[in-house]
Amino acid sequence: MSRRLRAALIAVAATAVGCFVWSGRPWSAPYLPFFVSTAVIGLAFLAAGIAAWQRWPASRLGLLFSVVGYAYLVPYTIINLPGSFAFTIANLTENVSGAALAHLALAWPSGRLRSRFERRVVIAEYAWNLGITGVSMLAWNPSFSGCNASCPANLLLIRSSRSVWDGINAASIPGSLALTGIVLALIVRHWRSARGWSRRVMTPLLWISVAVIAESSAKDILSNLNLGISNSFFFNGIAPLVVLAGPALVIADTVRVRSARGALGTAVVDLEPGASPGRLRDALARALGDSTLQLAFRLPDGSGYLDTSGQAVEVARPGPGRAVTPVADAGVAVLVHDAGLEHEPQLVRMTAAAAGLALEHSRLQAEVQAQLEQVRASRARIVEAGDAERRRLERDLHDGAQQRLVTLSLALGMARDRASGADPELEALIESAGKEAREALTELRELARGIHPAVLTETGLTGAIQALVERSPVATTITAVPDERFPAAIEATAYFVVCEALANVAKHARAGGAQLSIRRLPGRLVVEVSDDGTGGARPDGGSGLRGLADRVASVGGVLRVDSPPGGGTRLEADLPCP
Amino acid sequence: MLRVCPDVGGLARCQTGSVQLSAAILIVDDHDGFRTFARGMLEAAGFTVAEAATGAEATEAARALRPGLVLLDIALPDFDGFEVARRLAAAASAGTPAPVVVLTSTREARDYGGRIAASPAAGFLPKDQLSGAALRRFLAEDRS
Repeated sequence: MSRRLRAALIAVAATAVGCFVWSGRPWSAPYLPFFVSTAVIGLAFLAAGIAAWQRWPASRLGLLFSVVGYAYLVPYTIINLPGSFAFTIANLTENVSGAALAHLALAWPSGRLRSRFERRVVIAEYAWNLGITGVSMLAWNPSFSGCNASCPANLLLIRSSRSVWDGINAASIPGSLALTGIVLALIVRHWRSARGWSRRVMTPLLWISVAVIAESSAKDILSNLNLGISNSFFFNGIAPLVVLAGPALVIADTVRVRSARGALGTAVVDLEPGASPGRLRDALARALGDSTLQLAFRLPDGSGYLDTSGQAVEVARPGPGRAVTPVADAGVAVLVHDAGLEHEPQLVRMTAAAAGLALEHSRLQAEVQAQLEQVRASRARIVEAGDAERRRLERDLHDGAQQRLVTLSLALGMARDRASGADPELEALIESAGKEAREALTELRELARGIHPAVLTETGLTGAIQALVERSPVATTITAVPDERFPAAIEATAYFVVCEALANVAKHARAGGAQLSIRRLPGRLVVEVSDDGTGGARPDGGSGLRGLADRVASVGGVLRVDSPPGGGTRLEADLPCP
Repeated sequence: MLRVCPDVGGLARCQTGSVQLSAAILIVDDHDGFRTFARGMLEAAGFTVAEAATGAEATEAARALRPGLVLLDIALPDFDGFEVARRLAAAASAGTPAPVVVLTSTREARDYGGRIAASPAAGFLPKDQLSGAALRRFLAEDRS
């Protein structure tokens, strides 16, 4: 709505209220409660009309609120104008505000009547209000209503008859009640068929309608019983104010949309990292106040959409009362929501943006996770490839150079035996060559063992750990080693942990003894080496423990070093082991 | 490859002759060079020698020739020396006299942890320490 139009609407509304107030001079006491309540109601509906017009420019709600406001004010303004014509029109249109209220209630919240039947009901409401008033005015003398001779004439009057007028009024009550009943039934039906957002919008209207209808019906019936109660302060000044709940609807609705906007932001921020799309849907539905909200994703083959509970969603035809809003421009995900939300396009856009943000966030997180997995897997592969290469080198040495040195050694032994006695000098020479060959063989064995311990391949941890302990210069007690085979990478890692730990004990700890255990726990293999030495080993100091930690991490394990100065060192590797 | 008493026509027949059962040795190794030298050394030491290059050949030759001692390399191309030793022991329990099985390797005994002790073999001899005298000690231990 443009500023100029809004200014014009405000000016007209202010003029109408001003005229009403001015026309009521001298504001005599008996009419004052009625006068004030009518002014307040008229003002409230006109203000609500302008607000609604601004909030929902495409909807007729603004117009309907304004019509109700003017229907309250205009008759009671022109009734004070001089002349019989204005007086007659004022009396004729006195009750149009009731029909306008019914129209507004049936058109809530879209501003549009839902069916031809409803349009007919609304037309009937207007016609009945004008018609029955017009008919009764044929017999109405203003004096019946306490109007003295100062009142202008009723131009519709044919024959003044109090009894006829009373009769028409009484006879109109069942018709009025029937129409009112139909309107209420329709409102109940709207409420019952509404889900999610629309239900939340319909609920207050239902209660307001019940209250307003109760008030107006009571007033109609009581005024026809001529008990005089209908002229009381309560019925003239207080009870009519119940319709103020109508304009309050606009305020409540605005507040609801505002709070939903705020809740959306919080919902996405509060969503735990890596939350499932189902949880995202729940958070959005809660924040938005639409329990029917669905978050649907396009199937990879593009054949359709599935919502977070696995239900197929017809995006092209979302069903009656449903609307679809794409989340991301790629159309990978869509929101399917209550069609009533289409009146709050900004809120829907915000919801879609929040959903998009959350989905993008989880996508990025999944990407980082996947990359991390890849790096982990490739690290494990690199270490395994290294192990395999070392095993191959050891085997090559065993099959090649070691074998040849053995043969050479044997040949030299035979040569020495043949030369024995015949040529002592040659015998000594061959003997020393044989010694060299044996030493070379010993060195080569040590080298091969360092590259990869054959005993680990041959016997697994039991033999390999035993061999390590036997060669360790520090007295080491083995408390437990499982007598079973594990994946090569786990065995190799456990072996290297013990190897490095025992080497550290021998080199740095100045320990009297060490203890070693390898325990099989569900899903894990825990290697523990402790000594009674000087302690003070730092996991980040020196390349030994750092490299060992890397090695342990490569199979997905954790290395813990507990080494208080003077308190010995305890090294524990916790390895995953299926 | 079965080279048996080339001048007599078969180790089994040799056994019926003057050659003692205890003096027949089956060398099981896939390394030609080693077999050649070992054969030369052991023949020089007075043994009758047959050769096999694989585990399968070894069990076959042992069944056919009934050697007194099998010098058995642990690393073989088909199945390892421990498995051959187990099969020989199993065959022996079926009635035939068991040969003395001596496991051998270019590696040291400790590289095999407890597997050597757990096998039915009589013992282990590192390849570079092979000699007729060493094998005679195994045979003597077996007899006593």
